[in-house]
Amino acid sequence: MPIVEFKDVSRVYKSGDHELKALDGVNFLLDEGKFVVILGPSGAGKSTLLNLLGGLDSPTSGKIYVEGKDISALSNNELAEYRAATVGFVFQFYNLVPTLTVKENVALVKEIAKDALSPEEMLSEVGLSDHLNNFPSELSGGEQQRVSIARALAKNPKILLCDEPTGALDSETGVMVLKLLLSMARSYGKTIVIVTHNQNIAKMADVVIRVKNGKIRSLEEQPSPMSADEVEW
Amino acid sequence: MLFRKLLRTMGLYKAQFISMIIMIALGIGIFVGFNMEWVSIDKNANGFLEETGFADFRIISEAGFQKEDADSIASLDGVDKASRYLSVQADVKEKDGDTVSLTVTENAEISGFALMDGESYNATSTDGIWLSDKYANANGINLGDSITLEYKNIEFTGTVKGLIKSGEHMVCVRDETQIMPDYNTHGFAYISPVMYKETAGLDYYPQINVISSLSKKEFADKADEALDTTLMILTKDETASYSGPQGEIEEGKTMGSILPVLFLLIAVLTMVTTMHRVAAKEKTQIGTLKALGFKDKRILRHYTSYAFMIGIIGTVLGIALGYFVAWLVLNPNGMMATYIDIPEWKLYLPWFCIVILILILALLTLIGFLSVRLMLKGTAADALRPYAPKKMKRLLLEKTALWKKLGFGARWNLRDSMRHKSRTMMTLIGVVGCALIVVAALGMGDTMDAFLDMYYGDALHYSSRINLSEQASPEKTDELIEKYEGDYSASVAVKIEEKAVSLDIYHTPSELVRFPDDNNNFVEINDDGVYLCMRLAEEFDLSKGDTFEVSPYGSDKTYTLKVAGVIRSVSENMVISPEYAESIELPYTVNAIYTETEKADISSDNAIASVQSKQAIIDSFDSMMELMNLMILIFIVAAIVLGVVVLYNLGVMSYTERYREMATLKVVGFKDRKIGALLIGQNLWISLIGVIIGIPLGAAVLDYLMHALASEYEMKTVINISTYLVSILLTVGMSVLVSLIVSRKNRKIDMVEALKGAE
Repeated sequence: MPIVEFKDVSRVYKSGDHELKALDGVNFLLDEGKFVVILGPSGAGKSTLLNLLGGLDSPTSGKIYVEGKDISALSNNELAEYRAATVGFVFQFYNLVPTLTVKENVALVKEIAKDALSPEEMLSEVGLSDHLNNFPSELSGGEQQRVSIARALAKNPKILLCDEPTGALDSETGVMVLKLLLSMARSYGKTIVIVTHNQNIAKMADVVIRVKNGKIRSLEEQPSPMSADEVEW
Repeated sequence: MLFRKLLRTMGLYKAQFISMIIMIALGIGIFVGFNMEWVSIDKNANGFLEETGFADFRIISEAGFQKEDADSIASLDGVDKASRYLSVQADVKEKDGDTVSLTVTENAEISGFALMDGESYNATSTDGIWLSDKYANANGINLGDSITLEYKNIEFTGTVKGLIKSGEHMVCVRDETQIMPDYNTHGFAYISPVMYKETAGLDYYPQINVISSLSKKEFADKADEALDTTLMILTKDETASYSGPQGEIEEGKTMGSILPVLFLLIAVLTMVTTMHRVAAKEKTQIGTLKALGFKDKRILRHYTSYAFMIGIIGTVLGIALGYFVAWLVLNPNGMMATYIDIPEWKLYLPWFCIVILILILALLTLIGFLSVRLMLKGTAADALRPYAPKKMKRLLLEKTALWKKLGFGARWNLRDSMRHKSRTMMTLIGVVGCALIVVAALGMGDTMDAFLDMYYGDALHYSSRINLSEQASPEKTDELIEKYEGDYSASVAVKIEEKAVSLDIYHTPSELVRFPDDNNNFVEINDDGVYLCMRLAEEFDLSKGDTFEVSPYGSDKTYTLKVAGVIRSVSENMVISPEYAESIELPYTVNAIYTETEKADISSDNAIASVQSKQAIIDSFDSMMELMNLMILIFIVAAIVLGVVVLYNLGVMSYTERYREMATLKVVGFKDRKIGALLIGQNLWISLIGVIIGIPLGAAVLDYLMHALASEYEMKTVINISTYLVSILLTVGMSVLVSLIVSRKNRKIDMVEALKGAE
C-alpha cells in the first residue's frame, strides 16, 4: 500500500484579481520507506507540494491521502495533530528556536509527540553530544542543521520532509549533512522526501519527481541509486 | 520547555519588556496613587470624625442655651445626642499672640476628642486642660505643664493633663480667613464644664451640637418647634473641619481622573504597539512551532502568557508605586497631615481601582492574544514567512510640486513615517502626552500662584485686620476706625433657602479690600445690589439682575436682594455696600477693621478681640503650596519618564525594523553622523508637531480641571510664558536626548551581516 497519494491536487494563490496556480492537477503515489527527491527550478511548485504533504497548507482542490487517511480536508487542529504525529520537517534555514538550547530544541517535541525519542540519544547520533547546552546561535550552519534533523527524527515520524536541507550550507558540509540524513532515515525506516534543485542529490534517490510550472513532468524510479560517496559533488 | 522559552524571550526583548512594565507600572501607579489619596482621606478623616463624635448640626444663638434646651433637642425623634457646646478664641498667656480654641462640651460623646497621651478626660476636673498635641509639640509644652488661657479677661489656669486630637478641630483654623492651620500660633484645648463654670462663674453656652441622621430641613423644622424660635443651624458642610477634607477629596477625585487616565491610556497604547512588534518579530518562531505540530491554542497560550506576565509584574509594581505616591502626600509627617490633624493615616486601595486593575490586566492579556492571533492567521506555511509590513503606497504629497523641492532627508523621513504609521502615531502620542501633562501640571501651579498673588497681593491691601470684640460699642468702633484710618466690614449670617451664607457689608473708601471679578479686574461695590461669589452664583443659578431672598438667623424678616455682580472669593460669601444695607434696612454691627498699620503697632484695647497680620495668612498658605508643588512634581517626573520610555522603546524597535535600510544607506556611503541626523530629524519633527498639539490640549485639560475644582477654589486659569517654555524645552529636549541615545546604535550596524540575511 502506498504511504502517500496525491489525487488531482491543485493549489491556487490569490492576490487581488491575480491568480497563481502553484500546483495544477498533480497525481502521484509514493511507497513507504522510499527516498524521494522532488526536483525543479525555483517557482516550479515543489515547495508548495512539500507544504501540502506536510500539512502546512491545504489544497484548493483534490485529495491527499497519507497512510490511507485524507488530510486535505482536516481542520486546523487536526492538521496540527497530523504534523505532530506523522511528519518531521527539516528546513533550509533550520528554524530552531533561538531562545532554547540545543537539547531543549529537541526535547520540545516531547510536548506534542507521544512516542518521542530521547533527545540526548538523537543528538549523540548526529554527533552533537558535546553541544547539548549551547544555544543555536553558537553553532555553525551544519551543526544547526544537524540539530534540526535530530529534532525532526525525535518525533519518530512516518515521513521526513526536507526543504532544501543543504541550501544554506557549503557543499562539503552539505554532503555530510545529507549523508547523515539518509543513513538515519534508512536506519529508522522512514520515508524521506527532499525538495531541491540540486541534480546530484537526485542521483541517490529511489524515486525522482520532476516538477515544472505546477505540473509533474516525470516520475522516475531508480532501482539502483548511487551512494553519496559515488556521486561527484 | 515552552516556559523556559517564555523566560528567555523576555530576556531577548529586554528593552520592550522593561518599557512595557515601566509604562504599565507608571500608569497604574499614578492612577492608583491619586485615587488612593482621596479615598484614604475620606476613610481616615470621616472615621476620625465619627470616632470623636463630630456633630451633624450646630444650633447657634448668641443669647446662649439652657440645659433644658439641649435636653429637649436630644429628645427629638431622629436625634441621637445633643450637648451644649462652647468654643472661643482664647489668648495664651505664656505666649503673646498665640490663640487656642478653648472648647467645652457638656457631653464628651459629642464633639469630643481622642486622647493621644496623658490622662483620659475627666468631666469634673477643675484644673485639667486637654491640649492639642500638635500645638503642644510645636511650642514645647509637656504633660503636667501649667498654662493660662485668657478669654474676655477671664483667666483659665490649669495643668495639661492630656494631649489630644479632635474631630471638631481637625482643620484647626482661627476663622474662615485662615485656610491652613498653623500650630505654631494656634491650637485648641478642652476643659471640663465644671472648670468652666467655676472659673468663669457663668453657664453660658452659645451652641448646641447635635448628632442626628435627619436632613437639615427636617431637623430645622423640629428644632424650631422644640425651642419655639427660628434657629441658626449649621450643618457639618458649613464647618472647616468637615468641608476642608471634603474639598481635598473633591480635589483628589479631579486630580485622580483625567491625568492618571491619560497615563493608563498611553500605557495600553504602548502595550498594543510593542506586543504587535514583538509578535511580528517572533513570527518565524510561531511558524516553526506550528510546523512542528503545536496546536494554535498552545501557541496562543504561550505568547498570551507573555503579555499576562508583563501585565502582572507591571500591575504589582504599579500598586507599589501607587502606595508610594499616596504615602508621599499622606504620611503622618507629610503635608496633608499639617492640614488635617488626625491620629493615623492608613492607606486604602479603593475597590474601583481593583476592578480597573483587573480589567487592565485582562485588556493587556487580550492585546497579547490578538497580536499573536494575527501572526497565526492562515496556514502554517503562511505563519512560517516573516512578517511583512504593508506595501508602500505613493503619498499624495509626492504628486505635488513641493515634493521635488524636498531634500532626500525630508523625503525619506516622510515616507518612513507614513510607512510605519503606528510607530509615528505612538511617538506623537508619547510627545503629546508628555507636553500635555507638563503644561497642565505647571499651569496648575501658575494658576494657584496667580490667584494668591492677585488675592493676597492686590485684592487685600491691608497689613492688619482688627477683629472687634462683641462688646465694642459703636462709638468705640468709630474711634478705632478713625485712629487706624481703616476700612471696615460687618458680617451677617443669613440663609439662602437652607444654606448658611455670610452676607458681608464692606465699606472700603481706602480700597484696602478689593473684589476681583471673573477676569481678575477689581469691581467697585456699588449701592445697586449684592455681589455674589462665583460658587453661590453657580449653586443658585443667579446672574446679574436676578433677585433672591435671604433671611438673617435669629430674625423673622426676609430681605430681597438684587444681584449686581459676581466676584471671586476665598470663602463662600456675598458682599454689599453699607448704603445698600441701609436701603434694604438690614441691621448690622461692624466686626472687623482693615488698616495699613502693622500688627505690632496696634495697641491692645478691650474692644479688640484679636489682630491678624496679612503675612500670617499668606504664610499659612505655604504648606498648601508645598502640597500642590509635590503633586506637580509627581506629575512632571511621571510625564518625563513616560516620554522617555515611549520614545526609547519605539526608537529601539524602529532601529531593528530599519536595520537593513540603515545598512543599505551605510553601504552606499552615508556616514553614521548623517544617518543619525536623519533619525533625529524625524523625531524632532514629530516632537515639534507633538508639542504644538500637546500644549493647547494641556491648557484645555487645565481649564477643565479648574472648572471641576471650582467648588473648591474660584481661580482663573493662568499659564505663564515660562511654563510654555519649560514644557517645550523639556519635551523637545527629552525627545532629542532619546533619539541621540538610540542613534548611537547605528555605529554597531554590521553591513555584511545585515544584508546577507534571509529574503
